[in-house]
Amino acid sequence: MKTKLILSAICIVSLSSLFVACSDDDNDTTKPVIVINEPEDGGAIKTGSLLHLDMDLSDDVMVASYKVDIHNNFDGHTHTSASTRADGDSITFTYNQSFDVNQKNHHVHDHIEIPILARQGKYHVVVYCTDTSGNESYVAKSVVFDANAEEDVD
Amino acid sequence: MCAWGIAISLSAHAQTTDSLKSVNLSEVVVSETYHHIRNKNATLQLEVVGEDFLRNNFSGNLVQTLGNIPGVHSMDIGSGFAKPMIRGLGFNRITVTENGVKQEGQQWGADHGLEIDAFNAGQVSVRKGPSSLLYGSDAMGGAIEINALPAPTQNMFLGEVALIGKSVNGTLGGSLMLGLKHNAWFTKLRYTEMHFADYRIPTDTVVYLTRKIPVYNRRMKNTAGFERDVSWFTTYRKNGYDASFSISNAYQKTGFFPGAHGIPDLSKLTDDGNSRNIELPYSFVNHLKVALHQGYAWGPMALSWDLGYQNNHREEWSSFHTHYSTQQIPQKDPDKELAFRLNTYSSNAKLRFLGNGKWEHTLGWDVQYQDNNIAGYSFLLPEYTRVTTGGLWLSNYKVNSQLTLSGGVRYDYGKIKVAGYTDAYLEEYLVDQGYDASVIEVYKNRSYAVNRDFGDYSASVGFVWNPSRVHMLKANVGRSFRLPGANELASNGVHHGTFRHEQGVATLKSEQGWQADAAYTYEKGRLSFTASPFFSWFDNYIFLRPTGEWSVLPDAGQIYRYTGAEAIFTGAELSMSYRVLPKLTYQFAGDYVYTYNCDEHLPLSFSPPASMRNTLTWEAASWSVYAQMESIAAQNRVDRNEDKTSGSNLFHLGGKFDFKWHNTPIEITLTARNVLDRKYFNHLSFYRKVEIPEPGRNLQVLIKIPFKQVFK
Repeated sequence: MKTKLILSAICIVSLSSLFVACSDDDNDTTKPVIVINEPEDGGAIKTGSLLHLDMDLSDDVMVASYKVDIHNNFDGHTHTSASTRADGDSITFTYNQSFDVNQKNHHVHDHIEIPILARQGKYHVVVYCTDTSGNESYVAKSVVFDANAEEDVD
Repeated sequence: MCAWGIAISLSAHAQTTDSLKSVNLSEVVVSETYHHIRNKNATLQLEVVGEDFLRNNFSGNLVQTLGNIPGVHSMDIGSGFAKPMIRGLGFNRITVTENGVKQEGQQWGADHGLEIDAFNAGQVSVRKGPSSLLYGSDAMGGAIEINALPAPTQNMFLGEVALIGKSVNGTLGGSLMLGLKHNAWFTKLRYTEMHFADYRIPTDTVVYLTRKIPVYNRRMKNTAGFERDVSWFTTYRKNGYDASFSISNAYQKTGFFPGAHGIPDLSKLTDDGNSRNIELPYSFVNHLKVALHQGYAWGPMALSWDLGYQNNHREEWSSFHTHYSTQQIPQKDPDKELAFRLNTYSSNAKLRFLGNGKWEHTLGWDVQYQDNNIAGYSFLLPEYTRVTTGGLWLSNYKVNSQLTLSGGVRYDYGKIKVAGYTDAYLEEYLVDQGYDASVIEVYKNRSYAVNRDFGDYSASVGFVWNPSRVHMLKANVGRSFRLPGANELASNGVHHGTFRHEQGVATLKSEQGWQADAAYTYEKGRLSFTASPFFSWFDNYIFLRPTGEWSVLPDAGQIYRYTGAEAIFTGAELSMSYRVLPKLTYQFAGDYVYTYNCDEHLPLSFSPPASMRNTLTWEAASWSVYAQMESIAAQNRVDRNEDKTSGSNLFHLGGKFDFKWHNTPIEITLTARNVLDRKYFNHLSFYRKVEIPEPGRNLQVLIKIPFKQVFK
């Protein structure tokens, strides 16, 4: 009898500890969505022209901010530096800017100037986006900087 | 609000519950008397697994084997390496000891496995719940104690040859043990070597960062590896004195899937025609451990003293890369990305007073010193030194033959000194980019010099009530703590494994938590079952909080900062065994963990999904076979920036056969895991975030040939 009593006490306590604990999580874990329309993956960008960044950002609650990070990808994802600063007059190009949004849906069309002397080769265009709860997503596009590429005019 | 609810349930727990749990999970039914005695004498919660369990679940990897115990999970890094998690707590919150010495590697790291020879584990005990009373800081989530089998009683020469083969990753391995027992002496030597190839997954493509990544030949490129372990153990026992000396060296090397390191580059994933080569990126670790144990018993007193030295040397290699144009390729070892050398010196002394057999006391004093050195062209963890020392008192009181009370207190003092590290290349890069001096000042310090000291106590009170052979009830309330690690106090920069900018906070308080748990065991006739609920409350649980602040570093999104929060872990394990027919047994084992971050109103990351195993075993005198259905629930309770993981049902088969061939006993164990080749994910796997499924169907053969020659 005593055993049964103690047993039921345990069951109740342990069950209640599962549910009493705290108000259940109603918080936001949904990441914002990034759809990049431009540049295309594998696309070529003429040095000395404008890189067109066209994308749609959205979130179920609120897009807080986004960051655009462009850096070279000369050897796979390895950025061997032995060649940098050494080949002629070309310069190391990186771009790192963040922008506040505070909207549910946001369309971005931005022009980023690629210097004419920017070192040619493979680059990554990475877009990071956060919502107001700190959920983060990112999308990376591979592009090639090429002096002989066609200029994007739209 | 939250704390209030906890306070109520805690006070209720303190009276009625705990989790002193002691169940032998061997597939084969264990002798009831042994089981019973073990239960009666273990007031601290303990799950003991013996040779049978270790044989049935052997995988060449001890942590994956222990993952079959309810409440224990393995956090895998590919097919070869894994680290343990107990009741949702992992990393630095779990202590592993081998032959009495606390294993010290790079436990904080997500891609670190446990450097222990699985063939050497004779007996393993798992303590679920706060164990810092016994082991000090870092054992707050539990402890895994690995011990060698006891020395034989007769004088003899003995040995064992073990061979293992696995289909999923082409494992070929073997272990040789030779031992000699002569009067007071016993000495044992073991050599283990295992090689494995790239592991197979049941899919042709994985999707990562919206990109389709091909998996050529259904093998995960560059996940091959090998392990080589040597150990020597000697013990001497005469009258009241015993001493043992052990020295072991474990070496593991494994490649990393190149698609998991950074933005995937398809050119690096093409098949190189060799599934056994280990190319860049890869990591290796060498763990040397030397331990000396001495014990002396006289009258009602017993003194024991353990001295240990460990050297953990881990390196990660990846072809030289940098974001900073002024950083040049190193002349020597150009591809050595990271290296850590952690030296640990430890001493644990214990004095037991057995008294009149009713009341037993233990006094203990532990000291540990650590020294971490680093190298490599990249930076992840700073150099540091850490000293911890603690004194403890444990007591065990037998009220009567049915009731035992136990309790203890411990105080620890710790001092950590972290060296600062300034990245000159990063500084120059930021200057080039035109950032303000104040911004540069914040970012150029990859680690801040931090000098902190901490003092904290652990305590525990519990009972075992054993009114009859049928019922057993155990309960415990304990408090645990953990000193913040060097990464949590001082790091500042992009973690190369998670690709997040992680930032330490020099003023973090030590992590503290309370746990109340209980275990009830029923054993009668054909039925036995154990239920063990637990409830833990942390007033300062350290986690990585996304701040919403952008990092200016290349390849980094927002900054994640180590932050203390109020948190709850609660759940239960349930295991049951029913003998349907004299030779047929049905077993059930299940576990559930619920985590909650009260400050963020969110679950915590790496919460293990609920799981259960239903097993049918047919057992004859010299052979047995089993079929098991493992059900893993979906994990939809995730933290921010952690993906939900869907559940799966897996089907496993196994059997063991003992026979004699020309008077030589041969033990064969066969296992087929994931027989249906299901594609599923482990929420806790290192490769989960890259959307890489778990290994597919695996056939495994383990052959053991023990031999001995008794001296006249």
